[in-house]
Amino acid sequence: MMAPGLLFFFIWHYVPIWEAKMAFEQVRIIPPNIWVGLKNFQQLFSSPIFYQVLANTLIISGMKILFVFPVPIMVALLLNEVRNGKLRGVIQSAIYLPHFLSWVVIAGVFIALLSPTDGAVNQVQQAMGFGTTNYLTNTGTIRWVLVISEIWRSAGWDSLLYLAAIFAIDPALYEAAEMDGASRWQKIWHVTIPGIIPTIATLFILNMGMFLSADLNQVINFQNDVNASAIDILDTYVYRMGLSTGEYALATAAGLFKAVIGMILVVTSHLVSKRLTGKGVW
Amino acid sequence: MASQSRRTPLERVEYVLIVSTLLLLVVFTLQPLLNLLALSFTDPSKVAGFSGLSIIPDGFSIDVWALLLQHPNVQRGLFNSIWMTATSVCIGVFGTALMAWGMSRPGLPGRRLIFILVLVTIVFEPGIIPDYFLMKRLGLLNTPWSVIMYKAISAWYLIILIRFFEEIPKELLEAAELDGANPFQTFWMVVLPLAKPALATIALFYLVLHWNEFFRSMIYLNDQTKWPLQVVLRQFVIEGDKIAIVGANNANNNIGLAQINIRALKAGMIFITILPILAIYPLILKFFTKGTMSGALKG
Repeated sequence: MMAPGLLFFFIWHYVPIWEAKMAFEQVRIIPPNIWVGLKNFQQLFSSPIFYQVLANTLIISGMKILFVFPVPIMVALLLNEVRNGKLRGVIQSAIYLPHFLSWVVIAGVFIALLSPTDGAVNQVQQAMGFGTTNYLTNTGTIRWVLVISEIWRSAGWDSLLYLAAIFAIDPALYEAAEMDGASRWQKIWHVTIPGIIPTIATLFILNMGMFLSADLNQVINFQNDVNASAIDILDTYVYRMGLSTGEYALATAAGLFKAVIGMILVVTSHLVSKRLTGKGVW
Repeated sequence: MASQSRRTPLERVEYVLIVSTLLLLVVFTLQPLLNLLALSFTDPSKVAGFSGLSIIPDGFSIDVWALLLQHPNVQRGLFNSIWMTATSVCIGVFGTALMAWGMSRPGLPGRRLIFILVLVTIVFEPGIIPDYFLMKRLGLLNTPWSVIMYKAISAWYLIILIRFFEEIPKELLEAAELDGANPFQTFWMVVLPLAKPALATIALFYLVLHWNEFFRSMIYLNDQTKWPLQVVLRQFVIEGDKIAIVGANNANNNIGLAQINIRALKAGMIFITILPILAIYPLILKFFTKGTMSGALKG
């Protein structure tokens, strides 16, 4: 009964690993390719664009960890304070929605929202006398667009994981705190937050494991000729070099570099998480 | 509530602040969407002056929706998206269920090795170029099957189902065997009915995943007539290819779709694309929320 599944995994996951040997070859129009060892990697590591792309990836991932990661935690803490179940349900239904939309849709929504002529953001800005900004074609603002759109998409839904952890906290702890006359903030600080620290740690470590990804699906929909220098990441570089320029071997080498470092990061974060909190990636 | 009576004025102010912050988040989430929805129903003559802040249509017209839904590219995109998603979901659910069932059996030879081999696929992804060449080698490039078959079984959902199957009481399976059921009958008549809620959850996961898929379709499908809706939307809204929807003839002569403000057309396209998600959103809330909550609780 497992045969179809095993065949699937073999074809879609293991054959590509074999195909990745292209990273060590010179690709010729008429096969066979020639084995060139690490030459493609040497070329990659000596190209300035590669370092710019790597830097962009690290900066965007770093910004997301700093500014996106804490938001769902705060949302969950706030949601937990809403005692009216119906009101909380309505809020939850609204803020979970963007998680289920594609990045094409989300980028479309943000392009409209940030339009310099009739987008809501610039209209407010203008009314307050700040003039207009074209956030999408400005290399100084485009990374913030990635951060804000990521918050828009995931802050609500990701809060669910923390909320589940909060609900799992023993109610007796809250009762004891109330007996001692603890205020709302004291209860949050001394009961709720310690209770969800393991979840926060696990998710933080998992995020670190994804550090080299920076989300291709998001970036590719926000990228244009003007802002590309600020948000060209490893994945978009691989895509462009491989499928637009036709530098297959170089692109595969870059992809393999990302895959290997990414694997080390994920496995390390899994092991760290397992040791610290008992919870791993799988 | 007992604690309500003990609330001090300060606590009430705090509560109002907390709820207001959350309502602000609700506005931040929904306003951009409602604005586009209102824009798509606004009277075409008033679209040009329509404010990005408004969430109520200025005048009312279904011209944008009618014209878009009659457009061959949009119809084709919808058709492609629907059948490709449906096929992917069927393959995904059955493939995942079969494999998960096999892997949840304690007696399976090499169980641990297979598990590790599945985990490897989560942590190591050689990238899009090897995938692309694999499709080329299989002759699937520029066929919808390249998108449908690509990773049709998700390692993550597989693990979720394995965990679920492992918890099915042994007595039930033994009873079926005593009744003379072969393994396939046991799976079909005992396991699958028991797993209905889990399978529904997985089906929804796959549905959302495949409906929102655009990247693979974009790189594997050259032929525009094979594009799913997301790629049609991307070409129009992200890449700003106006002619793709408006049509060169219309644009040149300023007739048909060219007479409608491009903003309204884009807003309409975005909403046509998310309509199926909105339609099943109550189901999504029910199953996704439960799935995520129980997963998190079990740890």
